[in-house]
Amino acid sequence: MAGIWVFAEDYEHNLELIQGGTELAQKLASKIVVILPHNAGNDEKAHDCIARGADEILYLPPLAEDEDFMACIPLIVAEVLQEKPDVFLIGSSLRGKELAARIAARLNTGLCSDCISLELSADDQSLIMERLIFGGAAVQRVSIPTRPQMATIPPRLFSPAAVQEGRTGNIRELPPAPPSKVKILGKKTRTHEAAALTEARILLCVGRGVEKEEDLTLVRELADLLGAEIGCTRPISDEMHWLPEECCIGLSGIQVKPELYIGIGVSGQIQHITGIRDARIICSINNDENAPIFAVSDYAIQGDLYKVLPLIIEGLKK
Amino acid sequence: MPRIIACYKWVVDEAYIRTDSSPELDLEYADKKMSDYDRNAIEEAIQLYEKYGGSVAAITVGHPYDTKGVKDALSRGPEKAYFINDPSFENLEPAQTAAILADVITAKTEYDLIICGEGSSDLYAQQVGPRLAELLDIPCVTMVSKIDLAGEQLIAERKADDGIETVSLSLPALLTVLPDINSPRIPGLRDTLAASKKPVIEIVKDELSGNFAPCLQVLASFKANMERNGQKLSDEAADIAFLLDTLQSKGIIARGVK
Repeated sequence: MAGIWVFAEDYEHNLELIQGGTELAQKLASKIVVILPHNAGNDEKAHDCIARGADEILYLPPLAEDEDFMACIPLIVAEVLQEKPDVFLIGSSLRGKELAARIAARLNTGLCSDCISLELSADDQSLIMERLIFGGAAVQRVSIPTRPQMATIPPRLFSPAAVQEGRTGNIRELPPAPPSKVKILGKKTRTHEAAALTEARILLCVGRGVEKEEDLTLVRELADLLGAEIGCTRPISDEMHWLPEECCIGLSGIQVKPELYIGIGVSGQIQHITGIRDARIICSINNDENAPIFAVSDYAIQGDLYKVLPLIIEGLKK
Repeated sequence: MPRIIACYKWVVDEAYIRTDSSPELDLEYADKKMSDYDRNAIEEAIQLYEKYGGSVAAITVGHPYDTKGVKDALSRGPEKAYFINDPSFENLEPAQTAAILADVITAKTEYDLIICGEGSSDLYAQQVGPRLAELLDIPCVTMVSKIDLAGEQLIAERKADDGIETVSLSLPALLTVLPDINSPRIPGLRDTLAASKKPVIEIVKDELSGNFAPCLQVLASFKANMERNGQKLSDEAADIAFLLDTLQSKGIIARGVK
């Protein structure tokens, strides 16, 4: 019975991958194996994963504080070579992507990065996966002839697996990791901004059409009225330094999924559009009638943002 | 003094992909460009060279007609370029690109540090850097936003989802860099002229050892349809009022807040 393996740094993300794996496992009659960080004597998460669909839990060994997480790579590779899973899904966090690529290289197998759709082929033999290319302007449909078929999966592609009654599973611990060649000297926990942006229900995005840094006051006033978070395009963080890099929305920044996105002077480079494609409503304000963002907007306001923002603010206060 | 290799990819410029409603991905008239993130990779190599000395070589895998890319890379500062080319190296998947680079880097170069962009602006699979490091069996750190060298030791800042990690590792090593690590300079006329005099080491398929079969098969490529048949509005008060009414009726926003 070939397995479907899943690993994600974030626990919620992990539950989503169990759900994705379960959908495949039913058709492939295979078991689900979940890799979890060291348990520190608490099996609560392992039992929760089992209740939600996992058949086996593999605990990674504890790592000293200065050890790089990637020290686990040889252990995972050794297990894969022994157990020969069919599918290996990894959460596409930044560490997850590096981990996946390095494991795939050691196994000489294919990896679909940032997979946005995944289904079984008509003969149930392989996965048909889709991913974005050209900054999100195009989609590539791929399959993997080698095994395991690997993919990194962004958050929220699947809903978290639900608890089922009466499930059982094995729990196993992997041996200690060899010392890593990369040592951690220090960590700065990241500002809450990025997390707040990915969770935001309403999001305002500052683009190059905003003329001066002082004008952010106007954007902040609107954000306060709407209970919105403020993000930006890459030039605003990297060139103008008006907002931290963590606030940059787009393919190489953060991907957002708000109910309402308002682009303020955002022209809509494809890499940015890709970061907002899952927004429920996209509203954009730009004075250039040819701004690419208008094509992907639900409400396209062509005009002067310095006229529009005060009107919105006034309208909200009414 | 570090011998640095900067990897780059000469890619189709996505700005040429027309955003009309046809699903066909027509790249016939698309121009090519230096992959965005690789500008940062080459710039970082040059900045380290300016600070610590040593040398910088650029390396790429591509189609024989991508010579414009070689010149572009050299105009950004490297003293020489390795140009691995074959007509079949046009649309490689990341495992193939990494394997070919590893083969040539092992056979033909000496290096202390390899720098790649965090991903390519066409495929953005973010695999070639970390795969290459594994194949060369050297330490690897991805998503780097700062690099310092102290002899054989390298100190880097790496971005992760939960924060920034400062890490140390020994050379030889491979790093992938983020776009915020530097602002790539724009090559001037003098740089372009100098580039045409720099040595280019061409490597053809016969010189490689291996068959480099793909691990990822592309079944289809088509344009993404992200168009929303949006409503056009002006900046007049009536239009803005309409927008706010609509958003309110959908339960997205609340009015009358102080």
